[in-house]
Amino acid sequence: MDADAFLARVRSGLAGVAPAPLPDVHPQTPASGDGRLFDRFAEELEKAGGTARWVSRQDLSAEVYEAAVEASASTAVVSDDVAEFRERIDRGLADAGCAAAPVSREAAASADLGVTGGVVGVCSTGSVLLRATPASPRVASLLPPAHVAILHEAALVPGFEELFDVLGEQLREANAAVLVTGPSRTTDIELQLVRGVHGPKSMTALVVREE
Amino acid sequence: MSAGDERAGTFAELAHVQLEKPGLRRAIGSAMDRFVLNRANAFAGADLEAMRAAGEAIRAHTVARLDSYLAQFAEAAEARGVKVFFAADGAEAVEYVRGVIRDHGATRVAKGKSMASEEIGLNHALEADGVDVVETDLGEYIVQIAHEPPSHIIVPAIHKKRDEIAELFNDVHHTDLPADPPELTRFARELLRDRFLSAEVGITGVNFAVADAGAFVIVTNEGNGRMCSTLPKVHVALMGMERIVPSFRELAVMLPLLTGSATGQRVTAYLNVIGGPRGPDDVDGPDEVHVVILDNGRSRLLGTEYRSVLHCIRCGACQNVCPVYRQVGGHGYGTVYGGPIGAVLTPLLDGFERAGDLPYASSLCAACTDVCPVRIPLHEHLLSLRRDVARERAGAAERSAFRTWSAVWSRPWSYRLAARFGRAGQALFARGGRIRRAPFPLSRWTSDRDLPPIASRTFRERWKRTGHRREPGGADGR
Repeated sequence: MDADAFLARVRSGLAGVAPAPLPDVHPQTPASGDGRLFDRFAEELEKAGGTARWVSRQDLSAEVYEAAVEASASTAVVSDDVAEFRERIDRGLADAGCAAAPVSREAAASADLGVTGGVVGVCSTGSVLLRATPASPRVASLLPPAHVAILHEAALVPGFEELFDVLGEQLREANAAVLVTGPSRTTDIELQLVRGVHGPKSMTALVVREE
Repeated sequence: MSAGDERAGTFAELAHVQLEKPGLRRAIGSAMDRFVLNRANAFAGADLEAMRAAGEAIRAHTVARLDSYLAQFAEAAEARGVKVFFAADGAEAVEYVRGVIRDHGATRVAKGKSMASEEIGLNHALEADGVDVVETDLGEYIVQIAHEPPSHIIVPAIHKKRDEIAELFNDVHHTDLPADPPELTRFARELLRDRFLSAEVGITGVNFAVADAGAFVIVTNEGNGRMCSTLPKVHVALMGMERIVPSFRELAVMLPLLTGSATGQRVTAYLNVIGGPRGPDDVDGPDEVHVVILDNGRSRLLGTEYRSVLHCIRCGACQNVCPVYRQVGGHGYGTVYGGPIGAVLTPLLDGFERAGDLPYASSLCAACTDVCPVRIPLHEHLLSLRRDVARERAGAAERSAFRTWSAVWSRPWSYRLAARFGRAGQALFARGGRIRRAPFPLSRWTSDRDLPPIASRTFRERWKRTGHRREPGGADGR
């Protein structure tokens, strides 16, 4: 149907319907925050089946090593949005005997581990926002069975309100974004929780503290 | 729904079939108990009533200005490179999607969960074209290969037990899988991974479209929504036209209401925000993103007392608490949307001819209204629909019977007389203090329920005899 005709039909359906005000103050929700606290972030992510680590730049190699060993990874894709940590990531992967490749669909489809950045960390839910950009392709956090996201301490926000305040802006420079909270999961068979359905089976967030 | 399948029977007929299935009621009931408990835990400590009030206000505001928000969304989305199509009905929506698939010469489709696609019977239409459509949500996949409709909005295969699912997988795929959820899930992961990588078109639903951003969000736990919107060259998203919010800001309330009510989660594993096709430098993402906005009878409701049914965010909470749904499951209704929301929405969208019996599939206990995250007065709608159905349907005999009843019961002398006649007449049917089988037309009631007989002595008669005396120690015995 022509858009104008469609909208005209909606408009005529609404004839005589009184406008209702949009609330400008919202109540707190379970996803509202109570501070920019890593401990809360870690606790919530762990509840969702993920892992969070509070790390210094120096720790990064060891943490990436551990994640690669944990995932028994022999191949990894590393996205360009973590270029600033690239040397340390590569060292950790090499120590674990894991070969690193740039992200492509084919490489991600066969990799055991995906390493990406993250632009926002939500403390109240233990979630990490990933943007889809040329430097951060979507498949790196989607196809490999294990995912490590590295984000700066400064990226932590208290809760959903702060996340959605910046989401519009984040999306101006990206065509898509995803808020990831732990590994992929399902309860579709008799409500039994199973982790790792279509997306990663494990998810780790490394929060790099300011020095 | 108008393009959907014919119902296989009336509610009474289908419900009887479901009630005969061994273990079904227990399976659904215990699953629903889990959902109710999870929901309570999810909102523990939050001011749920304040959240519901805000949810209702946001939805009411948006729907009252739906034309301008839809126009705003379409303009913003098109500016981002999204192709927006407005579909007047299911047939138009199906035709558009078929066209997109034809244009790309596509034969393989990966599909994420979409109630709107069920509503318009999309899979059947595509399959008739020879397109291979695979549902990728685990529960949807199970019901698809079982050739059944989903029985619950959130957990489509909740009516199936693990051994049935194992048997189904083993039959279809010639495997020897054990009745073990992790094993069955692992098998489905591998099977569907191939599909994601080879599909030319991905089709998903939309949980919320964001008017000012021209973006839309899809919530999933499995990650299939991410796959369908990332890997195929073309992504088609279907949305009922009411699934919109003014800005991202409102999602801070609407999303916790949705996921808390649906699965008891503060947030799902994935919240996908889709703002358009891949850019020139992007490594991945679809080349085309289409959004199909579906009217299909919804605009007819805007000016009516039923407008608030368009506030629904499809969480399924009303089903989980419904004493009728818990007995018969989604298949008892024989329609895409079951439970209280289905009993309201289906007759409104499809007409009374097809679904006029559904408003009666309720005890009017109002548990649905109490649980609805956007405070839709579902039980009041059910009652109003019964009025409308009766107005359209009731024959002259039924009308005059109820008119007579009304006249008799509104005068004390005739009411008393009727009680006396009834008492004499029921002697033939009352057994052990219940009437289990009554003659027509009351047999239509007693075929499913007992009827309490009229008391051997009515309250009025007892009052006449003893009521004026004050009993010592009674409420009045000071």
